[in-house]
Amino acid sequence: MQNISALNRSESWRSFWMATWLGWQIESNWTDPFLFAVYSIVKPLASAGILVVMYTVIAKGNFNTPIFPYIYFGNAFYIYVGAVMSGISWAVIDDREHYKTLKYMYIAPIHIPAYWLGRGVARFLTGSIAVVITIAFGALFLQVPLDLAKVDWPLFFVSLFTGIAMLAMMGLILASITLLIAHHFFLIGEAVAGALYLFSGAIFPLDVLPAWLRPVGFAIPITYWLELMRRSLVGNVAQAFPTLSHFSNLQLVGILVGLSVIFGIASTFIFRFCDYRARERGLIDRVSNY
Amino acid sequence: MVTEQTTLSNLAVEVENLERIYKIRGSKKEKNVRKELVALKDVSLQIKRGELFGLLGPNGAGKTTLIKILTTLLAPTSGWARVAGYDVVKEPGKVRTQINMVSGGESSGYGLLTVRENLWMFSQFYGLPSKEANQRIEALLKIVGLEDRIHTKSSDLSTGLRQKMNIVRGFLTDPQVLFLDEPTLGLDVGASRDVRHLIRNWLDQDRSRTLLLTTHYMVEADELCDRVAIINQGRVLACDTPSALKQQLQRDALFEISVGALNGLAVPTLERVPGVRKVASEESEEMTVLKFILDEDAALGGVINKLTESNVKIVRLDKHEPTLEDVFVSLVGRSMAEVEKEGSNGDGK
Amino acid sequence: MATGSNPLASLPVEKASGWKLFLKTVIARAYPRIIGQQREKSWVFFDIFLPMLAISSYVFVYRAIGASEDYVGFVVIGGAMTAFWLNIMWSMSSQLYWEKEQGNLALYIMAPNSMMAVLLGMAVGGMFATLLRAVVIILLGSWFFHVQYVVVNFFQLLAVFFISMTALYGMGMMSASLFLLLSREADHLAQLAMEPVYLVSGMYFPIKAFSFWIAAAASIIPLTLGLDAMRQLVFQSGATLGFLSVTVELTILSILCVSFLIGARALLAYMEKLAIREGRLTESRR
Repeated sequence: MQNISALNRSESWRSFWMATWLGWQIESNWTDPFLFAVYSIVKPLASAGILVVMYTVIAKGNFNTPIFPYIYFGNAFYIYVGAVMSGISWAVIDDREHYKTLKYMYIAPIHIPAYWLGRGVARFLTGSIAVVITIAFGALFLQVPLDLAKVDWPLFFVSLFTGIAMLAMMGLILASITLLIAHHFFLIGEAVAGALYLFSGAIFPLDVLPAWLRPVGFAIPITYWLELMRRSLVGNVAQAFPTLSHFSNLQLVGILVGLSVIFGIASTFIFRFCDYRARERGLIDRVSNY
Repeated sequence: MVTEQTTLSNLAVEVENLERIYKIRGSKKEKNVRKELVALKDVSLQIKRGELFGLLGPNGAGKTTLIKILTTLLAPTSGWARVAGYDVVKEPGKVRTQINMVSGGESSGYGLLTVRENLWMFSQFYGLPSKEANQRIEALLKIVGLEDRIHTKSSDLSTGLRQKMNIVRGFLTDPQVLFLDEPTLGLDVGASRDVRHLIRNWLDQDRSRTLLLTTHYMVEADELCDRVAIINQGRVLACDTPSALKQQLQRDALFEISVGALNGLAVPTLERVPGVRKVASEESEEMTVLKFILDEDAALGGVINKLTESNVKIVRLDKHEPTLEDVFVSLVGRSMAEVEKEGSNGDGK
Repeated sequence: MATGSNPLASLPVEKASGWKLFLKTVIARAYPRIIGQQREKSWVFFDIFLPMLAISSYVFVYRAIGASEDYVGFVVIGGAMTAFWLNIMWSMSSQLYWEKEQGNLALYIMAPNSMMAVLLGMAVGGMFATLLRAVVIILLGSWFFHVQYVVVNFFQLLAVFFISMTALYGMGMMSASLFLLLSREADHLAQLAMEPVYLVSGMYFPIKAFSFWIAAAASIIPLTLGLDAMRQLVFQSGATLGFLSVTVELTILSILCVSFLIGARALLAYMEKLAIREGRLTESRR
């Protein structure tokens, strides 16, 4: 029994590392200046730029309000949501429809969810650089308040790692669903990330949403994660908005961990279900272009 | 002048000194290293209207490259080619109105469209009236035994059925010259027979039609083709009717000797036995089949002696009529399977 | 007499050529775009519902920072037009590359039809399918956020929309060849044309917020002036926030239209020539 579990564990690790290497080879490469510029500088800064211009048009260039850093940090960390979720789920489409290797991965003695997680690592790493560059740009040129001496580092790292694990679980759920759907002309990970943007209080406090939509925001872990990231970096800004201010840091971490565990368990069941349906309907090796 | 024009119009395909060299980029580490691969060298051919012409050769021989050039998808490095009287480089538009092509193992069309819709779409690119196209689609699908799948999404078809759909696509547009590149690849025996039957019938319906077929199945070429060109490493080694090609070996004695382990006996040493012209070997798990082309039957004694001396156990001995496989062996010195095994350079590129 | 009974007999009718063949090709290539999409219902969720939510986020940002309600309308119109831009990047510009990978490109080139017709078919099919998404976003967005429209000149609005669309899809046709030539980089180029283009084309704010020269440079993307002109024509404060007058914007858009279509044709011919010479038309680079 012990041997079997050790074998499974080593199989998962092997799948994960092999996929990480593979993802690195085909997804992105820091040594290619063009790709580095696209994914780590231009796209994230442009995305922040949209919000900055929107804010500037209305606030006439007054950056010294709590809402501006609220929007800026929320948007910066949200880069992880798109990167991790689409990094993992895109592997399904890329393997199935482009490289046509999904079927071979399936019959190989690897652990498919671990393989998908590995394929997402490359995007996670480039995403990390994008987050750093975006925040640095804000601090240097847009008066975003960031004092490294005042940052609550333990809270920052605990929240960051828990959050990444949580996003990876959400990515797995998406990858599982991708098994069942056709190849449309967009990245499902980014489409879902774009939609969750609305509910997670990333770029506006949840109070702005109509009351009946707020429960969705409270149900997704990203909301608490972003709040924790803001609190660890600039505590006073986060507390300027009432939505989550009655929760202590510890309570927020507790909620985040609890929800992450729930999503982790859900991802296992959803993978099993989608995997079963995909094999039942013969979708593992389909090419669905139109 | 009149004579020349008549000659031209009788030729469906004309190829003169054709050469194609691929420039291959090195890997990331050797970005600046440029390698060259000669896919076709000094190929000249003439195919008359009404002919079923076969290009026979192992994988990597250059068959697909030649088809690509003739179907205007690839430009030759030097030399020229005409299809249906038009130059493939200077008048590709005119060539395209006259041709169609099907390659084995292709996955054309759109997965979310049904078989009928995919075929209809391609028929429109050739200007067929929709009504006519739909009638032909139904009738052709019936011929290849795919009529019950007419409303199936093409993504739900098996490889063999998808290949049948592709074959229908080729015949659908009534081309003057049809190129079939390994059309029976991936088809089972029955389906391959149906396709060969379809090919023959199609040509018999209108003697102005021409069909160029590439294959590495000797029997297929032998059974179907009016003339065959044997091609290896980008060169045409022989070109004639299958019977004429085999005729050249008629006076030779052809033997196949199946043996057990060769016990270290090198095949080339057998070629040094007096009266032996060529030897090719094909190894399987249990035995090795040695194919001999001898000057006369009497030379067999020397071969048997040599094998016995080396303690090679003879399992079976056959004398047979020459086949295209033997023609290939006599031209190349090895069997087609051996050539493919020795590391072909991809699939004819 | 039709040959349905004997499909191996020669065609009893002439095959279409010239403009008839062109038209047939356009319709045939548009067909899978429209039918294929409807056949796989998941697009409704991923192509309409999710983008609708993403667009709503920007509306709430304006509400959070206390902008006037016209800005909400700006976002809704911008969001609807995003659909066309996504369609152009992901299913026009990258498409020839995908067609090559799937093995269709060789068949398209080998057929007697014009490749321009194939591209136009893709564009028309894509535009039709996307129009549905854009209309749903406008209807739902306007209903949900109570957007007030004051249409100044309906015919001008129609003209702006159609000319912008032609210019936009002309650009898509042109970039299809360009992306094919750049091969695997195509995906990355399309990625590059997402957020940066949303930013410079003023997808969610009036382009006037930029300096004149930045706005002028951004006008090379037909979306920029198309959006600006449409906003001027349907919102109360549109005219005061407009970059140039609608007439000037219409003129520039018309010039872009012609330039992109000519460019598409030239690039297509160049691509075909180069691909045939280098043997890259039929090779999939997996």
